[in-house]
Amino acid sequence: MLPQGHSLWKFSRYVTAFLTYALFVVPLFSLALLLIWRGVIDMNAKRPTWGNSLRLLIICVLVVMMAAGCNSGSKTNETASSNGSGTETMQKEESKQENTDQGNDEVSGDFEIQYFVGGYGDQGWKMILAEFQKKYPNVKIKESAGSKINDQMKPRWIQGNPPDFVYIDGAGSNATQMVLDDQLMDLTDYYKDAKNADDNIIKDELLLKPIEYDGKIYTLPFVFGSWGVFYDKKLFADNGWTEPKDFDSFLSESKKIKDSGKVNAPLIYTGKYPYYFHGGILDSAFVVNNNDDTSILLDMAALKEGIFKSDPVKKALAQMVQMRDAGIIDPASAPINHIDSQMLFLQHKNAFIPNGLWLENEMQKDVPQGFEFGFIPSITQPAGGKHIAIPFTATVGIAKKAKNPAAAKAFLEFLFTKQSAITWAEQTGALGNLKADLDNSNASALVKSAMKFYGSDNTIVAPYVQLNADVDKVKQDSTLALMTGSITPEEWMDRMEKAAAKVRK
Amino acid sequence: MNSTPPVLGVPVKPEAPRGFTWKKKRNMFMFVFTVPTLLFFCLFMIYPIFHGLYFSFTDWSGGSETKNFIGFDNYKEMLNDPIIGTAIVNDYFLVFWKVIGIVGLGVLFAVVLTRFRLRGTVFFRSVFFIPNILSVVVIGVLWNYIYNPSIGFLNSFLSLFTSENVQTPWLGDTKLAIWMLLPPSIWAGIGFVMILVIAAILNIPKDLYEAASIDGAQEWQQFCRITMPLAWEQIKVSILWVVMTTLNGSFVIVWMMTEGGPDNSTQVMGSYLYQMGFRQYHFGYASAIGVLILILSLITTLALQRLMRRDVVELA
Repeated sequence: MLPQGHSLWKFSRYVTAFLTYALFVVPLFSLALLLIWRGVIDMNAKRPTWGNSLRLLIICVLVVMMAAGCNSGSKTNETASSNGSGTETMQKEESKQENTDQGNDEVSGDFEIQYFVGGYGDQGWKMILAEFQKKYPNVKIKESAGSKINDQMKPRWIQGNPPDFVYIDGAGSNATQMVLDDQLMDLTDYYKDAKNADDNIIKDELLLKPIEYDGKIYTLPFVFGSWGVFYDKKLFADNGWTEPKDFDSFLSESKKIKDSGKVNAPLIYTGKYPYYFHGGILDSAFVVNNNDDTSILLDMAALKEGIFKSDPVKKALAQMVQMRDAGIIDPASAPINHIDSQMLFLQHKNAFIPNGLWLENEMQKDVPQGFEFGFIPSITQPAGGKHIAIPFTATVGIAKKAKNPAAAKAFLEFLFTKQSAITWAEQTGALGNLKADLDNSNASALVKSAMKFYGSDNTIVAPYVQLNADVDKVKQDSTLALMTGSITPEEWMDRMEKAAAKVRK
Repeated sequence: MNSTPPVLGVPVKPEAPRGFTWKKKRNMFMFVFTVPTLLFFCLFMIYPIFHGLYFSFTDWSGGSETKNFIGFDNYKEMLNDPIIGTAIVNDYFLVFWKVIGIVGLGVLFAVVLTRFRLRGTVFFRSVFFIPNILSVVVIGVLWNYIYNPSIGFLNSFLSLFTSENVQTPWLGDTKLAIWMLLPPSIWAGIGFVMILVIAAILNIPKDLYEAASIDGAQEWQQFCRITMPLAWEQIKVSILWVVMTTLNGSFVIVWMMTEGGPDNSTQVMGSYLYQMGFRQYHFGYASAIGVLILILSLITTLALQRLMRRDVVELA
């Protein structure tokens, strides 16, 4: 057996499937039909034949239908891979270009970009790519995009025939896993002094620094936003509630809200995806209880032994338990998904929701009249303490086996310019990960007000980290269990330490 | 073919029309209808099974170009994984209650709709069958709304009888959630079993029932002595159908409604496989779970068939 992933094997599989279909099933089916039609086949000579033939016909049709169904599946794959090999052959002609330096005029040849189309739409990418094309007319851009693109491109990554440039976002994508799978180019040295197309050092322009994997850099954060707790300013004003500034005022305000009887419970979150709760509430609590030292998040990502049992974690979990026991959290949270929780929030069944900055955009169609989004980066800080903003991002990277790394780098440099950041913000309503002046852009009011938080001295923007997928799953399960009261903080810490130990092994 | 002149005195087989002997025709027929099926069966069943088996001995993440052979490590890991235990228990929990619920209610409805001269039989038959044509995905979404703690039908309904609003998070409670998966799955399965058993009952000669009632047998006795034994084949098929679809397919309803949560309390083998393979990037481990599912379904089906075959001899 050829090893899986061997391209010959893959290819031969598709060919076999196709040939089987073309050479066997179609002719055999027609033959059988013909024979039945002419009465040559008597399945059982003793009996009248028509009933049997009919039955056979049905079976035959079923078989062919099955075959057709299966085959249409493999056929789409086939086109995908043949596209791939097409690029490959065309690429070979251009291979001279591959090793040239990234001088402006020398960037040419095929350049394939993979990007996920989700909440941000594809207009931002299309416009940036069009501007890129204008600058480098010799480049032939191929866009592999869509809402299912991560799954569609997966076979090509596995076969070692990836696109040049990838925007890592959406279902089925995980930057850390791509690094573990050795799919991305090591950008460590490049990043040190890479300049963007405007001749500025990219490193100095970024709001969020890239994640380091054992000191190496493979991805650059392209989108910038943060988690936080949201509320409706109008609802608050109408009822005389005020924006909580710290944990105590959050508790007292929540009590006021609860006692008013106007909502089911003060706070709702999605229990199906507890990472919303992590981003909006818990992770910032770790930093708060670590005296605003954000290194605890890095230590957690590094799965340092004992970190999940450390004092700051204990204190943060105690705060969570305090919230839980004060009846602030809506019991409806546990089984619902993010959309349902957001709907309840928009319907004023709840006053607070931990969520990400994309919330406004995502719920655009359902936001009631007069609803005014308010945003607090964190709620667990002591009186007078600083806000902690837990950022989120989506990253970009260059494939390790990129066929046109020069073009990929040129695009990267083009992407991290102020102009691209503004284009992105205007088209998507989200922020690019670049210090750009947004006041004149038409980014949403919520995004702009959030931006003010990040710029203020009173807010600490934590580094962007990504927890190992196994540990993160345990973290989500444990947090949900903790918030519904089925485990204690000690059990939460035990579970996390155990999960971390298992991954460290 | 050269046709030699017949030799005198030797009986000659009448030649088949168009040069085909009966045997050849038969062989050709068998070839025509078995080979393509077999080919596709191999291509789409046997090959993936063995491929999955091979993956289960590797540490493949599902995305990398390379994978290492790690022997039985995935299987050893499975022994130490408490979630696997939960998943197996949950799977058989669903199998047990679904068999009871679906087959029990399906037979009940079938009997009611055939043996009791009711009006509107056709209407009821269609109503009970409707969930069967709905996709499980739709059923999952639908029941999610029924169970929704804040705006769901169930809590609103229960609130009619209580002074305070009922806010039970049906799917959010680690002890309740798995029970809550039963109503939608049973609701979705009844129709098929019902139709199957109705067909079986309608096939039973009316005279048997007439004779029984003349002899003074009650409805219940008729059910036990006539309907059950004579519809047993269909009931047996129904049970096997429920068991197999549950072991292989409960993934969909679980994934639509709880994604295995809260805190893994509704995890079944299928959903855990998905979680491991596509969310946590342990494709090798997921394949090992797949092999486990295959083995357990095989054992269960074979055991059940054995068990029920004996019954059929006794009853029929």
